[in-house]
Amino acid sequence: MNIYLSKEPVMTTSTNNEGLYILIFKTNIQLAEDLKAIEVCLDREQDIIDWNIDREDIDNVLRVESTSDNTQKIIKTITEAGFFCEELTY
Amino acid sequence: MRTRDENKESAIREKAMKMIVDEGFDGLSMQKLAKAANVSPATIYIYYKNREDLLTQLFNHVQQTFYDVALAGFNPDLSFEEGLWIQWKNRLKFILKYPVHFQFYEQFRNSPCINHTDVQLSAFKQSMKLFAMNAMKKGELKKMDPEIFWSIAYGTFYSMVKFHLQEITVMGNNFKLTEVKMKAAFEMVIKALKP
Repeated sequence: MNIYLSKEPVMTTSTNNEGLYILIFKTNIQLAEDLKAIEVCLDREQDIIDWNIDREDIDNVLRVESTSDNTQKIIKTITEAGFFCEELTY
Repeated sequence: MRTRDENKESAIREKAMKMIVDEGFDGLSMQKLAKAANVSPATIYIYYKNREDLLTQLFNHVQQTFYDVALAGFNPDLSFEEGLWIQWKNRLKFILKYPVHFQFYEQFRNSPCINHTDVQLSAFKQSMKLFAMNAMKKGELKKMDPEIFWSIAYGTFYSMVKFHLQEITVMGNNFKLTEVKMKAAFEMVIKALKP
């Protein structure tokens, strides 16, 4: 599987040709009930394979594994749900 | 397009293990790790989902490294004396080459964190078990409980290693484990284990 770091695609030595983007965001999603609200939005996105929010972290980092670079769409979705969301740069 | 950076990944791993060894599990956070490894937090999150994922991946990596070193030149059909000596030498090689890995491994094995990982009977454990069973079958090893076997066959070794790694031992000496000293202790262990 190919792993892409945000907009820079990254190759791994796996045989699978499927591309994978890992997208990292800073959010203010902290409570369990916030998580529920976000879950509905993110699970609806077809391109998202897996996601998690590290609520132990001060940046409440949202990590998304996606088959496309849908950074802007994710920011829009989370923002519209009423939360702060910006891309964390490398 | 850039390739996944193995050097960066390994630098992050080394720093994380060092932080855990120095400050304990609570001393590690993704932010502190990013600072210590001189990378952005986002970079840490490319490789690890969260702290727990980081700990699990670290442990699996260290365990695999240990297994690879320990099994080099070894097979369960070796004579008991030859096989056990290879184990002592290989394990010492691992500890001296990767001292932080070793400390982290010990710390992790003695912590509740281990319950988070999938503990399965690995090829390594199977190989060790088969080795002891073969030795018993061939009459090179007394029959005994596995725990007693481990304590005598490896407990001695690990105690000496711990003295070696301490700057000053409880006996107040600066003990250095040499191959000659190790061989002398090994002879005594073999004597104790032979039928």
